Amino acid sequence: MEPQIITNGLISASSCLLMALGFALIYRTARFFHFAHGIVFTASAYCTFLLVAWLQVPLWLSLVLGTAGGTLIGVLTEICIYRNLRRRKVSSLVLLLASLGLYIVLQNVLSMIFGDRTRSIPSVWGHETITIIGARVTYVQLGTMCISLTLSFALGVLLKWTRLGRAVRAVSDNPELANISGIDSDRITVCVFAVGSALAGVAGNLAALDVNMTPTMGLGPLMMGIVAGIIGGGRGIAGIALGALLLGMAQHLGAWQIGSQWQDATAFLILLAFLLVRPEGVIGKKHRTATV
Amino acid sequence: MEYVLHILILICIYVILSVSLNLIAGYAGLLSMAHAAFYGVGAYVAALMALNLHSPFLVNMVCAVILSGLLGALVGTPSLRIRNDYFVIATFAFQVITFNVLNNWVSFTGGPMGLPGIPQPTLCGLQVSSHLGFLILVGSFCASTLLVTHRIVRSPFGRVLKAIREDEVFAQAAGKNVASGKVLVFVMGAGMAAVAGVLYAYYISFIDPTSFTVMESIFIISIVIIGGSGSLWGPVVGAVVLVVLPELLRFIGLPSSVAANLRQIIYGGLMVAFMMWRPRGFLGEYTFQRKEARE
Repeated sequence: MEPQIITNGLISASSCLLMALGFALIYRTARFFHFAHGIVFTASAYCTFLLVAWLQVPLWLSLVLGTAGGTLIGVLTEICIYRNLRRRKVSSLVLLLASLGLYIVLQNVLSMIFGDRTRSIPSVWGHETITIIGARVTYVQLGTMCISLTLSFALGVLLKWTRLGRAVRAVSDNPELANISGIDSDRITVCVFAVGSALAGVAGNLAALDVNMTPTMGLGPLMMGIVAGIIGGGRGIAGIALGALLLGMAQHLGAWQIGSQWQDATAFLILLAFLLVRPEGVIGKKHRTATV
Repeated sequence: MEYVLHILILICIYVILSVSLNLIAGYAGLLSMAHAAFYGVGAYVAALMALNLHSPFLVNMVCAVILSGLLGALVGTPSLRIRNDYFVIATFAFQVITFNVLNNWVSFTGGPMGLPGIPQPTLCGLQVSSHLGFLILVGSFCASTLLVTHRIVRSPFGRVLKAIREDEVFAQAAGKNVASGKVLVFVMGAGMAAVAGVLYAYYISFIDPTSFTVMESIFIISIVIIGGSGSLWGPVVGAVVLVVLPELLRFIGLPSSVAANLRQIIYGGLMVAFMMWRPRGFLGEYTFQRKEARE
């Protein structure tokens, strides 16, 4: 197998991992499919674009502020919409539909402000490539891999060894019990949305630096993140990383063998296979639902 | 006048689509994001048959309904194993795969170029060519869809569907065949959506994959939500509101690019608003609240 394909697989796996981790973190805590996570990805990139191209802010500062802007959107969706819904003890389906609506609204707001055409962040790194063991990668792609690995480790440390992490795990296990033992589960959920959205924001900015951006670019990476999370079993960072790796490799192998236009279909076929045959993921415990 | 007829035809097509999705999502409680796939398969089957085999309208209609129904069975079957949110993602997967096939199988479906020049339908020797003729054709199919749906939901089978929606385990304990209910409702819903697809293909006489994206699925879902899920007339109200409201934007003179975005903002925003304040929509009875499966 060509080293280039393995490298491409690794690159898409690492950007997918960031989306998958953020999404899974929110899913585990708030227990619904946060579709508007996809717009956090897009909005961060556009925030950066706005700062760099229109307001002439230096690139490094815009990247930080752009990610912060996306994070703010993620946090606001929780505070303004989801929290109110959750207080009414609505089902996860209602939350899913609300976040789907939010995604559509925000995506169209972005395309009204910035237009539908492709934009790119003027970057200092350009598209020069370097060759590592026979595979060509750009600096941005190399950076994506490093940042994604570092952030995954950081998230692992945060969840395992800090006070906040322990509170997050308590809330995702059982919010009522966490409340009783003095943890403010609403506040923790806001923190989770902030961390998860920041991960999506980083992913969005990296993707925009690597290729370019359109207002609709968020849905694809979001779905890939969801697929990676389901393949990985949604339990633990290692599982999700494995899911992202399998998905990235499968997609690029598929692209190599049958053509890149079938990448999405390949990913979703894998998803269907997993949902039907092994819904608990590659590693993970079986769930049992009541039957007669 | 033609403009008004055009709007009425669109309303009828969306009534068929949303009534059929309501059967799946509102009555049986199986939220599906694959409805535009059934719609698209219907349209493509009819268009391909009309263009390549020159077969008559009704034959194409029957074939489209059968094929889409089979796809419906395929999409519905995972609902036996996969529940709630995960099932939504599974239907999303079917939607994306179908779109990919329509878009990438260029030699068969024409790919992104679409299929132009679908002939005008001929029924009992009469060629339907005017807008009025189309309205009568589409309207009669729309009325029969409503009639059939009315019969289905009033029948014992309709009550089984509601039982599946409210408490699947209980329905099963009461001796109802939950599995066949779920698959059958998908076959019926997909078949009806195919009817809408065939009518759309003949009416517009040009189809391409962009009419059958996941956004279209979400649009149909929002019609059902806003009109009211689990009621016969709810989707009719929803379709009228969501087709007419964006058209009103034209009269205040917005450029078409902004109007397209604003249309999506309207239905997305309405979806959020209804979920916040009135999850059962204007006329519905189902609030997407179900007994969580007991672990």
